[in-house]
This record gives sequence, C-alpha cells and structure tokens, in this order.
Amino acid sequence: MVAGHFGLAAGIKAREPAVPMWALMLATQWLDVVFVPLFAAKIETIEVIGGGKAGYGNGIIHADYTHSLVGALVLALVFALPAGWRWGRRAAVVLGAVVFSHWLIDLLVHHHDMPLLPGAPAGTPRFGFGLWRWPVAIAVAELALVLWGGLAYLRAAVGVARAHDPAKLRRARAAGATVIAAGLVTLGLNVAGF
Amino acid sequence: MSFVVGLLLFVVLAGILDAKLPWPRAREQRRW
Repeated sequence: MVAGHFGLAAGIKAREPAVPMWALMLATQWLDVVFVPLFAAKIETIEVIGGGKAGYGNGIIHADYTHSLVGALVLALVFALPAGWRWGRRAAVVLGAVVFSHWLIDLLVHHHDMPLLPGAPAGTPRFGFGLWRWPVAIAVAELALVLWGGLAYLRAAVGVARAHDPAKLRRARAAGATVIAAGLVTLGLNVAGF
Repeated sequence: MSFVVGLLLFVVLAGILDAKLPWPRAREQRRW
C-alpha cells in the first residue's frame, strides 16, 4: 500500500493545518523510506507469493526492523523529536502518530509478516490480518482514502485561501487538484505492479 | 516505482504548492 498512506496524511493536513504538508507526507511513508536502504543491503527483503513477478499485495515483506511494532514506535520517535524541536509539541505528536499510522494500516493488509520486536527473534509471533488476499477490495479502500484525504485537503486549502489571501484561491485549487491527481497516479502505478 | 513517484509527487510537488498557501504557522520553539 502506498497511495492510501498519502491519502490519510492529506486528510490529517486538513485537520492540522499548521503542520507542514511535506513533513506529513514524509512521515506517512517514513517506515518505507527507512526500509529502502535496508532492502538495498538485503537486511530486509520481499518474498513474492508463488514465486512469480512482484505485484499489488502479493509479497511477504520481511521488514523485521522497520515494520516491527517496537521498530515502528522507535522510528515514530526518531521522526517526532526533531519535529518537536522545530515546530513544537503538537506538531511532534501529530507527526509521530502519522508515522505509526503506517504500521497500523499495514497491520490490516500484510500477510502475517509483521513481528513485535526488531529482528523478529525466533519464537516470537508475527501479525498481519492479510486483507491483501482481496486485492480489489484493498484497492477500493485505498481509492476511498485518496479521495477522502484529497477532497478534505482541497476544501481546507480553498477555505484558508479564501479567509486570509483570496489572491491565492487559484493556487489552493491547484494544490488540491495536485494532491488528488498524485494519489490516483500513485495508486494506478501500484495496482498495475509498478 | 509507485513508491518513488508517490514521494516525488506528494513530498516535493504537493509540498511546494502547499508551502505557498496562507496556513497558520506551527510554533517555532527556537530561533536559528
């Protein structure tokens, strides 16, 4: 899941307008951003179910550090601390929660591959409700998140421009349209297996 | 690829567009 996380962050921006958009978008993917270098180093891996080509939701993800419960909490803290120093406590709490929301959403869809502790020590359980067994339903849920978040953001952006600087109404509409279009493009690529 | 494209579109493009809007500013705890 990629686009759904972004959709949620866009919806959060509408509710927490003082938190910078780029920070929310980075926060919502922070676990996967940290996953990338570990994947390149083969410390974390993806195993394709059935052994074929990797596609939408057909991977068992051995992300035993970034996507463990404790690992996700540590990564949320790592993200929130500098944010708190820069933008204050409320922004830190919001951004930390957005980082951790990635783990909660992944818990719903992952194929029983998320451990509690970093490194997944032998004998410890793994979690994941495996909703990716129904990829069409998850794609629809992602689409709903993208549309909900994008429309909430568009409404908030237009509202704040109208209230404080009507000259920026056009820019606000462009920003909202960009968020919705970005979500649709990202979801389309992901579902198509790219 | 969708992940990289998503990051570019949301963090960079949407981030730049959004930064030009008159949102309330988060509190800055320290001065540079």
